Amino acid sequence: MIKLVTVTKRFGEVNALEDISFEVEEGEFVFVTGPSGAGKTTLLKLLLREYLPNKGQIFFDKVDITQLRDKEIPSFRQKIGVVFQDYKLLPERTVRENVEVPLAVIKVPQTEWGARVDTILNLVGLSKKAEMFPSQLAGGELQRVSLARALVVNPKLVMADEPTGNLDWDTAETIVELFEKINKEGKTVIMATHNRAIVDKLKKRVIELKDGKIVKGKNKEETK
Amino acid sequence: MNIHFKTAFDYIKRTPFQALAATFVLAITFFVVSMLTVLVYSSGQLLGHFETRPQVIAFLKDEATPEQISALQTRLSGDSRVKNVNYVTKEQALSIYKEATADNPLLSELVSPSIFPASIEFSLSDLSFAETVIDETKKEAIVDSVGFTANLGSENSLGDVVTRLRQLTFYIRVGGGALALILAGTSFLVLVVIIGMRMTTRRGEVEILDLIGATPGFIRSPIIIEAALYALVGVFIGWLITLLLVLYATPSLVSYFGEIPILPKTTGGILGMFGIMLAAEIFVGLALALLGSMLAVSRVRAR
Repeated sequence: MIKLVTVTKRFGEVNALEDISFEVEEGEFVFVTGPSGAGKTTLLKLLLREYLPNKGQIFFDKVDITQLRDKEIPSFRQKIGVVFQDYKLLPERTVRENVEVPLAVIKVPQTEWGARVDTILNLVGLSKKAEMFPSQLAGGELQRVSLARALVVNPKLVMADEPTGNLDWDTAETIVELFEKINKEGKTVIMATHNRAIVDKLKKRVIELKDGKIVKGKNKEETK
Repeated sequence: MNIHFKTAFDYIKRTPFQALAATFVLAITFFVVSMLTVLVYSSGQLLGHFETRPQVIAFLKDEATPEQISALQTRLSGDSRVKNVNYVTKEQALSIYKEATADNPLLSELVSPSIFPASIEFSLSDLSFAETVIDETKKEAIVDSVGFTANLGSENSLGDVVTRLRQLTFYIRVGGGALALILAGTSFLVLVVIIGMRMTTRRGEVEILDLIGATPGFIRSPIIIEAALYALVGVFIGWLITLLLVLYATPSLVSYFGEIPILPKTTGGILGMFGIMLAAEIFVGLALALLGSMLAVSRVRAR
């Protein structure tokens, strides 16, 4: 599903990522770990086509996304659900409206929104808070809204950048369980985290980065 | 409600004073544009009236034969500087005189057709030809004298009349047009500033929408709708004030200008004229809104 071939990303003189190559198959759950500055976020931004690599190719469903034209990027991103550490919710919209936005983006008929949003909010346990605004929610709830927004369009791939970074252990565990649940339903999940406890608990494939290089998990069999 | 309309209405509700400022400026612009349109129409009608009424009367000598009169008529009709050539017999002249003195029958009883000369009346395609045409007509053997009737007030000479008409035309059409352009430019800038401010406050939202795969069109839609709403409301207010003013002033204008049709004669005609004006102004308003919002969006996104 995803294939990186000798990808290098530089910021000035600094190599954020250097000669990164790996593959992720459909339905996999992959943790990207490493200390701060290892290149986890850069990797996810490359996968979301926020950045272009200085060298190498990135394939998503056999399409080299580094070759996409600007006008092709939105339709590419519509296939991916993204969960951010800082949630990136629209503060002046309710929980329901935040989850509805991606449906409007992919032009789902408005008559279908209600049922789809209710299903997803039920999945993440926020049915009763659908009409509340982000400022009225706790951190774990905000992250669940972010996850609901990512899932509502039924993406093939869900990427999460430190989704538990701002959460206490119990809340983080709940969020990760949700990711595990959606992975069991067949979605591919790539999660960047430096939370060792979570990685150890789920026993999934781990790609470990250090100073922009893969130090572990290049191949699927290497770690679990 | 469509998500873009809802977003646009939310923005307007959140910043009512910006919305009022934009609408107010657009309303003033389109009020002035509407007034100028009416003024240009009326001045056109006024000038048209002066241009088409008999401006030059060539009084004919009594001995002029029908063949000579017909030849002069033909020559004048073939002259591109001359239009609306009309032959007035002695009897018709008397009839016109009687009509003009209808309120004093004694005056008309004392005259006979023989004292009125036959004449050829005509108007000019452009008043600047007047002196030449009059001089040429005076030289005709059957012409006794030539009278010039175009006169707007205190002018003493033909040159004064031409200058006055040219000045009127210039001030109304060019001056009014320039004023309308300046106001339209101001409205455009106000829209660009307000939409630019909106885009700046929406920067975070734009970034999020971008990341979840929203197309540029999706991101721009609420902004364009908001600008279009300002334009539509502004156009309607400006247009409505003008319509009410014109309807209010019509009786006085009709009584002042008399037979000169400076406005359509029926209410239906006036409403028809204003209907066309509204359609044109909506088109211009929407074009301003579209261009202004596109410019503001592209400027903010380029930063």
